[in-house]
Amino acid sequence: MKVLISIDDTDNLESRGTGEIASLIAEALEANGWAKTGIVTRHQLLVHPDIPYTSHNSAMCFPADLQEGALEPVIAFTCGFLDHECAAGSDPGLCVAPLERLGDGAELIDFGQKAKRQVLTTRNAYELGGRLGLHLSEHGGTGQGIIGALAGAGLRLSGNDGRMKGALDFSGRNLLRLEELLDHPHIDAVRPFDGGELSPDALVEIGEKPKTVLRHGLSVLFVSPLSRDGSEANWQTTHRKQLRGY
Amino acid sequence: MWQVAWNGTREFTLGKESWGAAASAALECQSFAEDVEEELVAEDERSCYNCRYRRWNPASFTCLAAP
Repeated sequence: MKVLISIDDTDNLESRGTGEIASLIAEALEANGWAKTGIVTRHQLLVHPDIPYTSHNSAMCFPADLQEGALEPVIAFTCGFLDHECAAGSDPGLCVAPLERLGDGAELIDFGQKAKRQVLTTRNAYELGGRLGLHLSEHGGTGQGIIGALAGAGLRLSGNDGRMKGALDFSGRNLLRLEELLDHPHIDAVRPFDGGELSPDALVEIGEKPKTVLRHGLSVLFVSPLSRDGSEANWQTTHRKQLRGY
Repeated sequence: MWQVAWNGTREFTLGKESWGAAASAALECQSFAEDVEEELVAEDERSCYNCRYRRWNPASFTCLAAP
């Protein structure tokens, strides 16, 4: 069974981040033999005075392919993990969304997109989660993290939102050809940030902590033109500040 | 660069795209602490935009570090 596991608002100013918590959960699911998991994505939600958040209001989500009969143990484990690990003062929420219950996914995607534009309520989240048969649970504080958790699942499902957690590692190399980039296990596609296509002989200079974004269901590395004297490369990885909108 | 509210919190008045000013402010700050990797947005590692004590708001951010 394929599911999306999404969490929100687990941290405070001093604790480990929600992204690290998501990664630890994914590692534990693999270690217990319950699931094969995919990369964690970070999804930006609305920043608004009426929404409680620590500093950035982002949700974290990852896909998991569960072994038969593993849904209930996975939910129980993840709930226990959040109860134990979440920081004081946070409002953690968990969503576990089996893909087979989502139909065409339109309602969940719509919820996620709305959470980027407007203030939603726990009632909105429970209504949709209940109708679709998803797991939603609160793990302390006000429990309002279930809104972001559900939204994170919807945005991940859309395939067109969020940045992948973690920076890409190229073993210290800072100039790579397109085909070498595409050999990286966490890169599905390499595209110019401003559109168009790369030529097969494109040579890319790797900047500080490059990362991919989720576009059309793919992990995409964006690159930008480079025309600096003395550099062999004709492209560079797109700067982090330009990826802020993802 | 900063506006101080009645409760002592400081809001960065230059918005979300003043990369140079945010880096300069962080260089002078004793409380700067780099946020987790997935929340970094500035190329300058040391930037208020990358600090775990910045709390984004619709127009800019508030600094939550002790003054």
